[in-house]
Amino acid sequence: MGAREEMQSMLRMMMMIRNFEETADRLALRGKLSGGIHNSSGQEAVAVGVMSALAPDDVIATTHRSHHHTLAKNFSAREVMAELMTKVTGVSKGRGASMHLGDVARGHFGGNGIVAAGMGIGMGAALGIKMAGDKKVSVGFVGDGGMNTGRTWEAINMAAIWKLPLIVVVDNNQYAVETFINRVTAGGDLAKRASGFGLPASTIDGQNVIEVRDAVAAAREYALAGNGPTFINMLTYRYYGHNTGEKGQYRTLEEIEDWRTHRDPIEQFAARLFKEGLLDQATYDEMKVSVEAEIQDAVEFSENSPHPDPSEVMLNIDSGKLRG
Amino acid sequence: MEEVFIPALGMAMEEAYLEKWIKQEGEAVNAGDVIALIETDKAQVEVVCETSGTVGKHRFQVGASVPVGNTITVVLAPGESE
Ligand SMILES: Cc1ncc(C[n+]2csc(CCOP(=O)(O)OP(=O)(O)O)c2C)c(N)n1
Ligand SMILES: [Mg+2]
Repeated sequence: MGAREEMQSMLRMMMMIRNFEETADRLALRGKLSGGIHNSSGQEAVAVGVMSALAPDDVIATTHRSHHHTLAKNFSAREVMAELMTKVTGVSKGRGASMHLGDVARGHFGGNGIVAAGMGIGMGAALGIKMAGDKKVSVGFVGDGGMNTGRTWEAINMAAIWKLPLIVVVDNNQYAVETFINRVTAGGDLAKRASGFGLPASTIDGQNVIEVRDAVAAAREYALAGNGPTFINMLTYRYYGHNTGEKGQYRTLEEIEDWRTHRDPIEQFAARLFKEGLLDQATYDEMKVSVEAEIQDAVEFSENSPHPDPSEVMLNIDSGKLRG
Repeated sequence: MEEVFIPALGMAMEEAYLEKWIKQEGEAVNAGDVIALIETDKAQVEVVCETSGTVGKHRFQVGASVPVGNTITVVLAPGESE
């Protein structure tokens, strides 16, 4: 892929994720999904930047807010939307809904509802990779809310002493429900905290997709060379409530507006591509149209898919290897 | 035209009790105004409009139990009608 195509496909992926999330949130409010969602709008550059630096075989393990990671790892809008509606055509066959997207065969070790658990699973995957001698890496996503959780640092310590090919990505949208991260960070600096474990640790602009991609690419090279884990704290922002319908009083409308108008990852990247001559208005407009069509198709596909048959409820709950 | 509807606010929420219309039919509203108060299993919730305009017909009476997702009224932009 040439630079132009690569940049445009990164932009389009971010646009697709935004449209997907806003559409899914509206459907959830209308009661058309199986439960609410954790909308990732505003955090697209983290997901797309990370996946742009990974090979298809590399592993990710993620959190309760994982649609953006999943779509960026090339899961289709159809299979993700169908899962949100718990339809058999969903990525988890309709058993998982929003928080349990994943497919081990495609290097996605799942989202899950336990804060910071995905990072530990990512560490386990990294151990598996090292034991198997594979040339790949594992990314463990964790929210800022997982930065004061014990298991996070247990996993980082273990990855560091065993030099595991783990990249810890803090999808730091600065809030854990209503708790502002700066109010609860002793020492004030997450990267500094991580560097105490003797690994490269940095804080970067998570709204800049290229900065994200380059930081992860460097961490990947470092891990593949056998040097062990890297910790990257990516500063980003979520535009909507913690979950569908949540409208807290814990942050100002001005703060949200400021991030939306001055630091939006999609608008910033599009502006950059225009300036560098890598994007023209007609192509940009076409992208918007094709993204809208893709998401509408995903919704229709999902609505027209069946729910799992209740008689199959015992299927897909274990590997089958332990049964006679 | 913006449809103002009963939001699904929890997995178990199937309907809400329409407690009070704050804005009357034909009244001018601004984006962010509270249109109605509803009660769910857990809490009282303000139903807010996202656009400015004129409130349309009230589609449910106070005291009604309205299923989640149902439109209770609309906000009409200038020149629009129901
Ligand atoms: C172990 C555990 N504690 C508490 C919760 C309840 N909970 C769900 S999401 C959340 C906040 C998570 O914040 P963060 O890690 O910053 O992720 P974000 O929602 O911002 O993406 C909490 C406390 C949980 N799911 N798991
Ligand atoms: Mg957070």
